Amino acid sequence: MRTKLNLRESDPKLYLPERAKILKIKDFTENEKFFELALLDRPKLGHVPGQFLQVSVLGIGEAPISISSAPAEHNRFDMCVRAIGDVTKKLHTLNVGDIVYIRGPFGNGFAEKTLSTMLGKHLLFIVGGLGYAPLRSLINKVVPERDKYKKISVLYGCRTSKDRMYAHELDELSKIGGNVELLETVDKADENWTGSCGVITTLIPKIDFNPNETIAMVVGPPIMYKFVLKALLEKNMPKENIYIDLERRMKCGVGKCGHCQMEGIYVCQEGPVFNYAEVEKNEELL
Amino acid sequence: MSAQTPEFVITKKDLLQGLDKALADYQVAALTKKDDRVLYDIIKSPTEVVFDYQPTVLSPKKFFFPQDETILEYTADGKISAKIEAKPTVLFGIRPCDLNGFKILHEAFADDHGDPNYLAKVEQTVVIGIDCEKICDKDAFCFKVGSQDATGGFDLMLYEIADGYAIEIATDKGSQFISKYLTTSKANGDEITSCQAKKAANFGQEKPFKNLAKLPELFEQNKHHAVWDQEGSRCLSCGSCIMVCPTCYCFDVGDEWQLNLKKGERVRKWDACMVTPFAAVGSGENFRHTATYRLHHRINRKFNFLMKKHNQAVCVGCGRCVRACLADISPKRIAEAIGADS
Ligand SMILES: Cc1cc2nc3c(=O)[nH]c(=O)nc-3n(C[C@H](O)[C@H](O)[C@H](O)COP(=O)(O)OP(=O)(O)OC[C@H]3O[C@@H](n4cnc5c(N)ncnc54)[C@H](O)[C@@H]3O)c2cc1C
Ligand code: SF4
Ligand code: FES
Repeated sequence: MRTKLNLRESDPKLYLPERAKILKIKDFTENEKFFELALLDRPKLGHVPGQFLQVSVLGIGEAPISISSAPAEHNRFDMCVRAIGDVTKKLHTLNVGDIVYIRGPFGNGFAEKTLSTMLGKHLLFIVGGLGYAPLRSLINKVVPERDKYKKISVLYGCRTSKDRMYAHELDELSKIGGNVELLETVDKADENWTGSCGVITTLIPKIDFNPNETIAMVVGPPIMYKFVLKALLEKNMPKENIYIDLERRMKCGVGKCGHCQMEGIYVCQEGPVFNYAEVEKNEELL
Repeated sequence: MSAQTPEFVITKKDLLQGLDKALADYQVAALTKKDDRVLYDIIKSPTEVVFDYQPTVLSPKKFFFPQDETILEYTADGKISAKIEAKPTVLFGIRPCDLNGFKILHEAFADDHGDPNYLAKVEQTVVIGIDCEKICDKDAFCFKVGSQDATGGFDLMLYEIADGYAIEIATDKGSQFISKYLTTSKANGDEITSCQAKKAANFGQEKPFKNLAKLPELFEQNKHHAVWDQEGSRCLSCGSCIMVCPTCYCFDVGDEWQLNLKKGERVRKWDACMVTPFAAVGSGENFRHTATYRLHHRINRKFNFLMKKHNQAVCVGCGRCVRACLADISPKRIAEAIGADS
């Protein structure tokens, strides 16, 4: 954890959000919607994969939402929202053309330094449910540049085939071939599902990887981490090669309100992406 | 603290006159009395100042970090602006524990991102401290955590002498305040040293924890000490300890429309990591679901996590949480249980 103070001048815009206009909305599942938005007052978001925004609906409140698109040179970006409470349910009632307000990007994400350690390696994405939303910002960056990596494996698990997010993009991903592979599983198969059935850890033995040459990115519901980490460690993957992306309650996004703290670590500042080796001893991790 | 050389002394009469003069340009808050209770509040006349210190329920952090504060205003048609309010303010008669609290909060709100609402108030405020000659009551333990002397957080510091005060100047703001409002005379130079000698005699054998500097390490090693459950199992999760704490600064943020739905605002409010839902997330997980975990977190913020950053104990020993807690939980007792003094 960061143990030095870094005193700054007052930032008059710290809590002042900016406008973003909804360009496109798609229903993914009963509870999850896709939004494409455009910044109105700046040419681009300027994020790195894995960062998040504080998204507000005026009069309702603010919620942390991952940026779901890869870094880009234009003003558009994506997010995917699960309706769960006040802000997220209100977001689901909005229409194309409506304005939402955002602050950020916040958090560390997969910064340039981390990304450079991935070059030439086998990238192993292990994603559960809504975890695809944040990891898509990295997947959609590395897949078009796939020649720079040894291999890209995406393991995706969700409850039923109806809960697949970005279903169309997953289908595309599965067709790329070459050094890109997609393995999927569902907890409960229905008549439309012909693929694997079982928890996400059942996919791990199905891929061929050299643990020392592989970097794993794990994102999913809290319960998933324990099982996936155990499975990876049993395969002798070094802890330094594992990244996890965590969810915490967040009110400010800028290291003040205290809600996201995990022992001494402010997840909104030093995370939400963590190298497992650096945080494994943190007792509030999982 | 090293002995300071005062440049000026002031009589009590001149000090009160100075405050009266300052009332024309500043709102002045000081220790005062309302319905037989002492508290820090805005005063209209220097005659309202209570000089004989008694611990207050709330700390004076409320003048920099109010319990409710609007940070954003907007209209239904989408006009939105930051709301940053600060009035020229004098905080008079703040004691060392709370001054250390100010120093820590000033740092916390400036760390990595400069919080505009908090820092605007710091800029507009002149803080005048008064040193404590003796320990204020049985619950205070400033001397255990190195907080009986102020390490910062003030512009001017007053030390009581025969018919007034010796003045230590910490900032330019303080020295400008003197030249504009206070009628002083030249000090001999040894006033503070003799005040400190008197203070040392009054504090007597009350010395800092033997392992004060090593508290972060000790707390790190004692995550599973029996004391956490012993104390935590009594906790009512009421959050009173946090409301009264001079160095707690967690907050919640919420939106409110006015009744006519034309205007709304975003308000931040004090929040408390001791209350059950503080670390709950949408998926149903609560990362600190028992009072024991929450107590562990709160006390570790004071003596471990944040102490490492601020380089001083973030519990300033004011004793307010001890007085407020219905379950008789004390940070001092917890620190002692894990070996702070042995
Ligand atoms: C870094 C990060 C990235 C995220 N990315 C995404 C994303 O891409 N997409 C997405 O959909 N979500 C994402 N989330 C989760 C999302 O932020 C939350 O679901 C959201 O904050 C809920 O806000 P709300 O106002 O809709 O719900 P709220 O009204 O705040 O409540 C939602 C739920 O939270 C719990 N809760 C709230 N208040 C309390 C309380 N007082 N006591 C107990 N429980 C309470 C309850 O279970 C409640 O049903 C992310 C979270 C983080 C931290
Ligand atoms: S420690 Fe005491 S004051 Fe604090 S939450 Fe528990 S019961 Fe309330
Ligand atoms: S979200 Fe407020 S401190 Fe991290």
